[in-house]
Amino acid sequence: MGGCHPDRSDPADLAGESGVTVALLGPPNVGKSALFNRLVDGTAEVSNYPGTTVQADAAPFEGGRLIDAPGTYGISSFSEEERVAREVVLDADAVVNVVDATRLERDLFLTHQLLDMGIPTVVALNRMDELRGDDREIDVDALAAELGVPVVPTVAIDGEGVEELRARIDDATAPAHTPIEQWFEDLPELSASRAECVLLLEGDEPTLDRVRSPGVRADGGGADVDLPSLRDTIYRDRRRRVDETVEQARVVGERSRTTADRLDDLLLSPRTGTPLALLGIGLVYLLIGDLVAQRLVDFLEAVIAAHYTPWIVSVVDAMVPAQGVLEPVHFVLVNDTLGLLTVTVRYLVGVLLPLVIAFYLVIGVLEDSGLLPRLAVLTDRGMSRVGLNGRAVIPMIVGLGCVTMAVISTRIAGSKRERLIATALLGLAVPCSAQLGIILGLLAALGPVWWLAYLSVILLVFGVVGVVLDRTLPGESQGLVTELPRLRQPDPASVLRKTRTRTRGFLAEAVPLFAATAVLVSGLDYVGGLARIVGGLRPLTALLGLPADFGRVVVLGLVRRDFAAAGLTDLALSPAETLVGLVVITLFVPCVLSMGMIVTERDLRSGLLMWVGSWVIAFGVGGLLAAVVGLL
Amino acid sequence: MCPTASEHRLSGVSGGERVRIRDVPDDDLRGKLLRIGMLDGPVRCRAHVANGPVVVERNGTTLALGASVADDVIVAADGQ
Repeated sequence: MGGCHPDRSDPADLAGESGVTVALLGPPNVGKSALFNRLVDGTAEVSNYPGTTVQADAAPFEGGRLIDAPGTYGISSFSEEERVAREVVLDADAVVNVVDATRLERDLFLTHQLLDMGIPTVVALNRMDELRGDDREIDVDALAAELGVPVVPTVAIDGEGVEELRARIDDATAPAHTPIEQWFEDLPELSASRAECVLLLEGDEPTLDRVRSPGVRADGGGADVDLPSLRDTIYRDRRRRVDETVEQARVVGERSRTTADRLDDLLLSPRTGTPLALLGIGLVYLLIGDLVAQRLVDFLEAVIAAHYTPWIVSVVDAMVPAQGVLEPVHFVLVNDTLGLLTVTVRYLVGVLLPLVIAFYLVIGVLEDSGLLPRLAVLTDRGMSRVGLNGRAVIPMIVGLGCVTMAVISTRIAGSKRERLIATALLGLAVPCSAQLGIILGLLAALGPVWWLAYLSVILLVFGVVGVVLDRTLPGESQGLVTELPRLRQPDPASVLRKTRTRTRGFLAEAVPLFAATAVLVSGLDYVGGLARIVGGLRPLTALLGLPADFGRVVVLGLVRRDFAAAGLTDLALSPAETLVGLVVITLFVPCVLSMGMIVTERDLRSGLLMWVGSWVIAFGVGGLLAAVVGLL
Repeated sequence: MCPTASEHRLSGVSGGERVRIRDVPDDDLRGKLLRIGMLDGPVRCRAHVANGPVVVERNGTTLALGASVADDVIVAADGQ
């Protein structure tokens, strides 16, 4: 065929050119985001599990821009991440192909595919520190000669080799000819770039949309030209070339088993992995439920009550008269229900902030250690019963930090159906960090039986709703296929950096919402509206066997569930009432920002169904529970 | 496709066994396994959760396959 034309492989095309787009591309979890942060001084999230980056991040770079593409083992359309990566590559002027030096056999498939596609490439041979730690060596010059492109050894997490990589990007190139060309003749006559021709040969249907040549249409919908189905043949040929390249690169040394490998074996065996996972959960419970949610929060609340509150009330008293025309303003600022500068500050600084920081630290350690994919293996069997696979445990754990963030991470689920189930379960039954911290604190004070009762009810609702969704939604869920990264000791600096970034995000999101809620609720309280709403909610609170004041908690929960949980701490409730109240606010509607994200990621109809469903399930389950524990 | 006498399903492999993956009927899964080199030679089963995922390893790359996925993959003992 005559349509495939070589493009962009001449190094002269790039050198000195301004405004170029450079893409960082590589398999999942090889350090792309860490390298991205080094190259552009950015703050992209870095974790030790495949799928941290589910969308392309971009930042200004050397007069152009640098794009951090989602991780992929090859360019095609097997998943959402791959579709995003394919578009990034096809639109990029050059690619920095990040390769794990300890996984050459796996990662060079993508490298050879990029070179087949004629994409100007420079290889960043990352994780050289781990290769050295394994007592292994690679002949970097031989690897560069074999591939025909620059190869720069790097250690992204500490910046080693990053400046040399930056300098070599202008030298990005691709061989003028590769063995893929032997199949170009099999393509029909069409106008496509070399990269597009390679993808067409490999049967990538969405590339047909890009080409849009007369006589060739996507989806086989009456297309009058058949594309050859050569994917297996080409992949096997490319694997052969990968083996030859690895042979030429003379990888020396044999990796010996480490302590991390032995720990990994224990984690992957259900007999030892499940008890170890339970032990880990117990430690987290001790840290957050006991140390932070009780001791630290009690201490901070006492400090705020003894020092801050009297001081701010005196300041406001001096500046805003408590009588006359400014009386409503005074009331909004310092009332005992939800004063903007009193109770709101106590909730935010004394209760929520320490809990959020503690949770983000724990989640950061889980992410960076590589433990999350192991949890995916251990939970796969259970998750498959609710129409998901083990990978869905990752958004669930992220949801324990922030449900809004977790809704985005449901993109790692394989299908639209799974994303919908995961989102519904997140919005319904996964409490976010601040809320969970308060819940743990309240339950820890009551004792282990109440804690077990709470956990059982939430898991039961999670399971029942999951099974119902699995049986009613059309289609089938995909089985688990996930790579397990090496276990690594988390880098404290990385965990702290993520915690800081996420805590800032929490404050940026929560402070305006808290302030607006405080003003609204205090204003309503001042004019008597809050009492009327609480009175209007009385049939619902009576259904739960709870005092009328619980209506105020419900109003706060409409904005944020963690705010409602904080409000619950101010009510004097019996253990049974506390259990029912906690179950209801856990299952209650997602916070307004999570709702916004759900509508964005899914659609308005799904969002509304989930919102209304949360009301029904929260009060239905709460009412049943109240009857069981004898409140009614 | 059904396994022959010398073949069996990956879902029946135990921890520690070395097998070669002979057939992967699902096109996308076969493509994924081909890419990362899992079809180049023998793989070692690192762990098998009862009625759950099978964890296989080759050249330092470790992959977990859910029970339903592993049930569709035909393997033969290494050397056969």
